[in-house]
Amino acid sequence: MPTSATSNHPSRPEDLIGRLNSPHTPYEAKLKALRDLKNQIIGNRTKKLAFLKLGAVPSVVSILSSAAAAQGGGGDNREFYESVLIQSAAAIGSFACGLDAGVKAVLDAGAFPLLLSLISHLNEKVADAGARSLKLIYQSKRAPKYDFLQQKNMEFLLSLLNSKNENVTGLGANIITHSCQTTAEQQALSEAGVIKRLVSLLGGSINQKDASLESLAAMVKENPEVSSKFMAPENGRALNVVIELMKDKHPRTRLLACMCLISIRNTSTSYLQDSGIKNTLVLVLLELLDDAGPVGDEAPFVLSSLITEKEDMQKIAFNANLIEKLCEHLNAGSYQAKRLQGIFLVLGDLCSKLECCRDRVLDLQVLNFVTEALAHDSAEVRTAACNFLKNVSRSVKNLSAGQFMNEAVAVPLIQLLCDASTSVQIAALGAISNVVVDFMAHKSVFVQCGGVKQLVQLSKSMESAIRVNAVWALRNLTFLVSYRCKEEILLELTSATLISLINDPEPSVQGQALALVRNLVDGTLNSINYVFGEDGAVLHAIARQLRSSSKVEVQIQGMYTLSNVASGNEIHKEAVMNQLLPQAGNDAEKTLVKFLQSTDSRLRTATLWALVNLTFPGSPGACRRVTELRNAGIITQLKNMVNDHCLDVKLRARMALGQLMIFGDSSS
Amino acid sequence: MSLFWIVIRQLAEIQAMATSKKVITRVDWEKKLNDVKVRKEDMNKLVMNFLVTEGYVEAAEKFRLESGTEPDIDLATITDRMAVKKAVQSGNVEDAIEKVNDLNPEILDTNPQLFFHLQQQRLIELIRNGKVEEALEFAQEELAPRGEENQGFLEELERTVALLAFEDVSNCPVGELLDISQRLKTASEVNAAILTSQSHEKDPKLPSLLKMLIWVQAQLDEKASYPRINDLSTAVLEDPAV
Repeated sequence: MPTSATSNHPSRPEDLIGRLNSPHTPYEAKLKALRDLKNQIIGNRTKKLAFLKLGAVPSVVSILSSAAAAQGGGGDNREFYESVLIQSAAAIGSFACGLDAGVKAVLDAGAFPLLLSLISHLNEKVADAGARSLKLIYQSKRAPKYDFLQQKNMEFLLSLLNSKNENVTGLGANIITHSCQTTAEQQALSEAGVIKRLVSLLGGSINQKDASLESLAAMVKENPEVSSKFMAPENGRALNVVIELMKDKHPRTRLLACMCLISIRNTSTSYLQDSGIKNTLVLVLLELLDDAGPVGDEAPFVLSSLITEKEDMQKIAFNANLIEKLCEHLNAGSYQAKRLQGIFLVLGDLCSKLECCRDRVLDLQVLNFVTEALAHDSAEVRTAACNFLKNVSRSVKNLSAGQFMNEAVAVPLIQLLCDASTSVQIAALGAISNVVVDFMAHKSVFVQCGGVKQLVQLSKSMESAIRVNAVWALRNLTFLVSYRCKEEILLELTSATLISLINDPEPSVQGQALALVRNLVDGTLNSINYVFGEDGAVLHAIARQLRSSSKVEVQIQGMYTLSNVASGNEIHKEAVMNQLLPQAGNDAEKTLVKFLQSTDSRLRTATLWALVNLTFPGSPGACRRVTELRNAGIITQLKNMVNDHCLDVKLRARMALGQLMIFGDSSS
Repeated sequence: MSLFWIVIRQLAEIQAMATSKKVITRVDWEKKLNDVKVRKEDMNKLVMNFLVTEGYVEAAEKFRLESGTEPDIDLATITDRMAVKKAVQSGNVEDAIEKVNDLNPEILDTNPQLFFHLQQQRLIELIRNGKVEEALEFAQEELAPRGEENQGFLEELERTVALLAFEDVSNCPVGELLDISQRLKTASEVNAAILTSQSHEKDPKLPSLLKMLIWVQAQLDEKASYPRINDLSTAVLEDPAV
């Protein structure tokens, strides 16, 4: 085998770039250096980054630029310049391929207009090179936004789509796929007749079919008008063509056909709703999961878009044994992050509403994989695993059986509370919120693993989304929990923090904080005593929030909390009374009456419960309290509620009235 | 009559069989086979498709001249593809890479697995030629980053690098990497990738037909006893066991 020095020892990047930049290098040598560079970087991400750092891109772009300019001169060197154009365009395209930093460098160096000018070149290879590189740029998020709304841009796009060159039509389709985002743009494209052209491409080569399917999906997405235009008779039986493509030989084509149909399905509920198509979509995607390559990685995401929030689709998927299939894949071993994320995403969707899915998932021991997933390198995988846990733990039956409250689940979850990524933290909080609603009261496991400490820490976060979820998790944790646990929680939390949460600027946090207190004081007298301690500052904070807040959620939780406190002893009842009806002030009276007159039946009910507890005949001070309430005009109000249309309200109103009347008779 | 004819007829006949289990003698079977009509044009297309997909340019040209069958791809594009395949088969991997990149720079940029296999082949060739130092350097510079970029390649990578550890490479556990078959495997992978990028089917139709025959015979075995083709290369009808 013949060898030469250059082929076994590739030139160092610095040397190559030096040769490209130097004015002394003869042009032929520059062409060779270009080709060399290109061959070093294609497929090699590490080399691309190395060359990028050394400033290769501006050098290459400047060579492209001078070749393009020199081209105009024509003559003998035409072939030579064309080679330079091809090699430099290809090198630029490679820098942009799958590398955001590369795309940025390429755009910054001004390559874009140069590449554009190549597309219409007479030499097909030059046009190909330009079109391919532009296409690769458009596949990146950093691509320049294409302004479809400008007339000449639309004309240019149409010229691309109408070209005979497959790479150029591919570029046109790619621009649509990646740049079309707004309804107005979809509309403009539709009006310019793009759909017709894309539909005709569906009958072209494999690459044209694929490119066209992606563009069509982008155009109809969430746009019922364009969707129906697609299905109009003038576009031939376009829908049927796409449906047929679901059975195409090529996995990627099948996947894209499904994606396109799902896009239409999710946009207009009047199309593609028959059971035949629903089943086919599920079965085709199920089979695509087995693909070992990028198609198999993408398939779960497409499946998710099909079934998310749709109980009927989840049922069909369940019946098609999708869960078994996903478990097979999990069992098969370590996958790339993307696929793992996809699998958990779909499992999460399946478990979001259907108990049968949750049961099946737990039967198949999926939880064994969750521990590892929660500690995965990829933040997306961690998030997907948390969301899956959150959904599967909606199963009351399994929660009660203590399926989730064990160290294998608790420990990694708690660790995620300190995760670097906010979205992972929030997802973990969501999962914890459900998992701690454990009727078997194994919550001590969670507490022992340091969960409370973390939750309290997060309840002080600057981000309201984290605060609200952390308090929610604490709230759920304290639901029906043992007194000992309550002690530990409150010790960690402190009354001061509790009060500041009740007074939080976000109403959603206030509501959760009040619900938390409600849970804390639910139960024995000890609980109530413990929470309110010496000075009753917490009680005071609650009452103040009740008076000032306008959000019904906050009012409801506040009222229930007071109601729980009022179920305690004499001291507690008096304390509540003082907060609800302080000596000075018409305001307070108005609050009580205002709540009783609320349009929200839950608030009416909560307030009535408080009254019921305050006027409980068995307690010594009941009589005095009744008089005060009577003077505040409560009786009249109650009388108006005895026939309330809400049963709960009606019954409590009558109960309260009855209790008030007992004392009324004897004290008149 | 060509073997091909026989196979095709066999296939067509079985597909038309009735469902009840019975014994069919050779005489009867051959009579049925004779009744099956297969068009010459279809056969020619199959042959052309095979030659073109596998890249036998000269044979395809000759066949086109002699049979008048038109290929479904431009024979000129086959030449480029064949040059690549030949380069790999001869162990000139670097040359092959350059040619692929000239043909379509996207192929290796978007096919990490293929690119890795080509790099792997380069390493194998260096080892085969006893260039140990260069091989080490290459493994470090070019292959290790692939493993870093993509964990799925680590196992393969380890196997290949293991070659460097053995004195007698042809007898070591991973010695099969030095086989010519490894080159052919890589060459085939490149061929398929180029075909796909050109929007062509990467598999010829003929193997599918043969697979269908095997499957269909298996199905019929459950229902009848008849003369089978057991050896595809000879297409000889063998009498039923009865």
